[in-house]
Amino acid sequence: MVMIGLAAAVVSTAVAVLIPWLPIAATREAGRINFTFWFATVISIVVFSFVTAVLVYAFIRFRVDEHDFSTDGPPIHGNTRLEVIWTTVPFLLVLAIAVVSAIVLSKDGNAGTNPLKITVIGQQFAWTFEYPNGQIYPTLHLPIDRHVMLDITSKDVIHSFWVPQFDQKEDAVPGLNTDLVITPDRLGTFPVICVELCGLGHSLMRSEAIVMSDTNYATWYKGASPPPISASGGAAAAIHTFTSNGCVACHTFSAIPGANGKIGPNLGNLSVSAAANHEPLATFIHQAIVTPYKYIPPGYAAGVMPATFGTSIPKAQLDNLVQYLAAHTH
Amino acid sequence: MTDTSHQPADTHGAGAHHGPPPRPTGWHRFTAPGWLRALWTTPAFGFFWIGFGCMVRWAAHWNPVWKSVPLVTIGTVSLPIGFLIGIGVFDYWAYYFSGRPTLPEDHSGHGARSWRDYFRPNTDHKVIGLQYLVATGIFFLIGGLLALLARAELARPGDQYFNPQTFNVLISEHAALMIFAVVVPVFAGLGNFVIPLMIGAGDMAFPRLNALSFWLLPIGGVVMLSGMFAPGGGPSSGWTCYAPLCSHQPMGQLFYNMGVQWAGASSILTALNFLVTIITMRAPGMTFWRMPLLVWANFATSTLVVLATPFIAGSQFFVLFDRVLHTNYFETANGGYVLGYQHIFWFYSHPAVYIMILPGFGIISEVVSVMSRKPIFGYRLMALSLLGILILGFSVWAHHMFVSGMAPWLRVPIMVTTLLIAIPTGIKVFSWLATMWNGRIHFTVPMLWAVGFISMFTIGGLTGVYLGSVPIDIMANQTYFIVAHIHYVLFGGSIFTVFTGVYYWYPKMSGRMYNERLGKLHFWLTFITFNLTFFPMHYLGLQGMPRRVADYAGRFADLNLFISIASFGLGASTLIFVYNMVWSWKHGEVAEANPWHALTLEWQVTSPPPIFNFDDIPQVVGGPYEYGVPGARHAILDSPAPVPVSVDE
Repeated sequence: MVMIGLAAAVVSTAVAVLIPWLPIAATREAGRINFTFWFATVISIVVFSFVTAVLVYAFIRFRVDEHDFSTDGPPIHGNTRLEVIWTTVPFLLVLAIAVVSAIVLSKDGNAGTNPLKITVIGQQFAWTFEYPNGQIYPTLHLPIDRHVMLDITSKDVIHSFWVPQFDQKEDAVPGLNTDLVITPDRLGTFPVICVELCGLGHSLMRSEAIVMSDTNYATWYKGASPPPISASGGAAAAIHTFTSNGCVACHTFSAIPGANGKIGPNLGNLSVSAAANHEPLATFIHQAIVTPYKYIPPGYAAGVMPATFGTSIPKAQLDNLVQYLAAHTH
Repeated sequence: MTDTSHQPADTHGAGAHHGPPPRPTGWHRFTAPGWLRALWTTPAFGFFWIGFGCMVRWAAHWNPVWKSVPLVTIGTVSLPIGFLIGIGVFDYWAYYFSGRPTLPEDHSGHGARSWRDYFRPNTDHKVIGLQYLVATGIFFLIGGLLALLARAELARPGDQYFNPQTFNVLISEHAALMIFAVVVPVFAGLGNFVIPLMIGAGDMAFPRLNALSFWLLPIGGVVMLSGMFAPGGGPSSGWTCYAPLCSHQPMGQLFYNMGVQWAGASSILTALNFLVTIITMRAPGMTFWRMPLLVWANFATSTLVVLATPFIAGSQFFVLFDRVLHTNYFETANGGYVLGYQHIFWFYSHPAVYIMILPGFGIISEVVSVMSRKPIFGYRLMALSLLGILILGFSVWAHHMFVSGMAPWLRVPIMVTTLLIAIPTGIKVFSWLATMWNGRIHFTVPMLWAVGFISMFTIGGLTGVYLGSVPIDIMANQTYFIVAHIHYVLFGGSIFTVFTGVYYWYPKMSGRMYNERLGKLHFWLTFITFNLTFFPMHYLGLQGMPRRVADYAGRFADLNLFISIASFGLGASTLIFVYNMVWSWKHGEVAEANPWHALTLEWQVTSPPPIFNFDDIPQVVGGPYEYGVPGARHAILDSPAPVPVSVDE
């Protein structure tokens, strides 16, 4: 039986070690979480190997002809010492996991004295990030080796902010501000993923987290490239408004790179819909953004497109976007 | 089940009416309880109240007079009630309320003498048990089919067969059906058949309530499923139905909210029935410490159901009210509190996990002890650990909310209680191992499933410990790791125990033996394809694949294709089970009354059992698992007089 147990332990350890289960951690917090994961894994391998060994051994050793009920086993009703052991040992094991987890949790929640504060805003179906200078960007730029305090909220339904390489996630809840401390320690570009079902565009609600060196970050922050959303004029700003508000996730618009969503109608021939509604093109586009359910094109449903853009996009940007769309649609 | 040779002596006094009432003829067929009456009462009652709603709107000058959301909500209540009236579950009570003569010993609705008796309200717990098993079996096949459609979509990244709305409906309906219309009620079905027999009772405490409980279940499932055909699309916010997303979904969502109410009412009423039955109707000599562990498990489960289910009913009513009545429980803009939903929802839905596994624990205890020919190891600790899980189960709901933004201080205490549940659960696993140790193990089909359950549930339990730890949960929550975990505990756990129980009691229910070869083939195919399907999901989740997405990163494509292929194998293996059950019901080898040589009471009567279970109430004289004890008996059936021999534990 010991041999079976050892074999099970070797196999499960091999499975644990040879397969790269976890993405390489990119924050200090993730490093600690990964440690907790492996700590629990060691304990799990021991328990799993024990159970497997007993089951397999019993399968081989105590098997009898399944139709022969002539003899019974020994009438053993229990053993107090054994029962105390298998109550106490699991207690100690889970206690160890609880203690390690609580320590890791408290360390991971420590933002130091002067964290960089960034507001993360979720909305259907895009992430935006607001920096201390008041500028809003569609991607998350982070300096390496500095505590960052993410202040997370949502404009509509619940979303959840997750970067697999950062390990941590936290829900973006309307009406609440939740926070998350991250301290990036690896340069690179990582995916930002929404992990709370938030509607039809959920699987497309993605952004990027870019961890930069101190100097690169400083340059980026000063130069603010790509241009912040608050710049409101011209095609570049309109494209930016379209991208950062998540329109690209649902609508196809050939003039804008990346705009090939299929959840909402294609915006390539808006003049046809405007004509069907007997409205001037620009008025129709403005109305379709601000009160999206007033006219629903055949084949699409009400309740999908957020009805909040009238308030969430500043007026100048919205007008600029309407102008741009009117000029580039057919 | 058309065997009528077991008619007991008439012990119910003069005036007792046995056997079905005479079949109505002519127009009476439309007024007597049954499907023909339901055919007109359902639309009549249903549309009367919808019309009443329209009239109120018209009189109050609310425009438009036809507004689908509130009026359809009325329909999801009034149409099913019309059906229940038609099929006749309220007839007896209506007679009683109106002061018309009723027969206290009226057994006209009791027992099955033809296949028709399975399609009407029946007061026989054995018929109801089979009604439950077949109904949940049908929902299981539908739910499985929905999962396979979702897996077909997931075989490749991008959108192939379904748009995101349809995909979300598939996963939401799959989970909702599997939880509310399969795993929760299937144990009510097994319990219904077995528990009264096991405790030496003639039936459940409230047979008419029992009939009502069953008929509420298909209503719940059908209401949920009919949401798929609602204009705008079906329920698509997941089975968790988080506010505020779900209060702004297309109309199909309210079919989920209401379906949960019907299924929930069904399980509350059944649980009350089980509690009263177990507490008051045990045969003489059947003390609590002599109850089989399945009875203990059902006792714990029923307590959980009665205390917890009202919470999910509340959570679904609140989101429905937010939508229909414009209350603001969860509408932030008007002062609502979004996390309130999750607290109420999980206050049921975590105990629900134990509702879905404790009866399974009971089944495994029965089978492991009988098939190992040894007493269950540490019987009392096994019973107490069930109560331990019951009590701890109420203190862990917020572990579903570690990343929800709830009060941070709550995380560590909830983590500790969550991890503590590993202890009573561990006790059960170790006790089963110790029961098998040194036994004479018969690897019959139910025993194979039981051992398969122990190994799969160990994996599911261990990943549960991972997720109980807050830091690991922050990493793995909401990903495919969760999908893997939930299927290891609900499929490798609960569904495996259901297969264990169905094979174990099949000879008792049908009087025939299932095909052993097919049973073993079913086990091995399911065991292998189950692991091929769900084990790789742990990896996908940790690597960064979120759950509930139709589209995913290209680097996960190969593994997802592999999982999809394995899942089709898993689906196919279930067809073997269905074929075996259906074929053997008529053509299987005739089974002995007690093919497993078990001691518990249900095996001491004929297969299938007599229509009133026992001719004389048995006298219990010892524990239920005294295998290997020379001369030990659990109960004496022949003589109603007490017997001095008492072999206690």
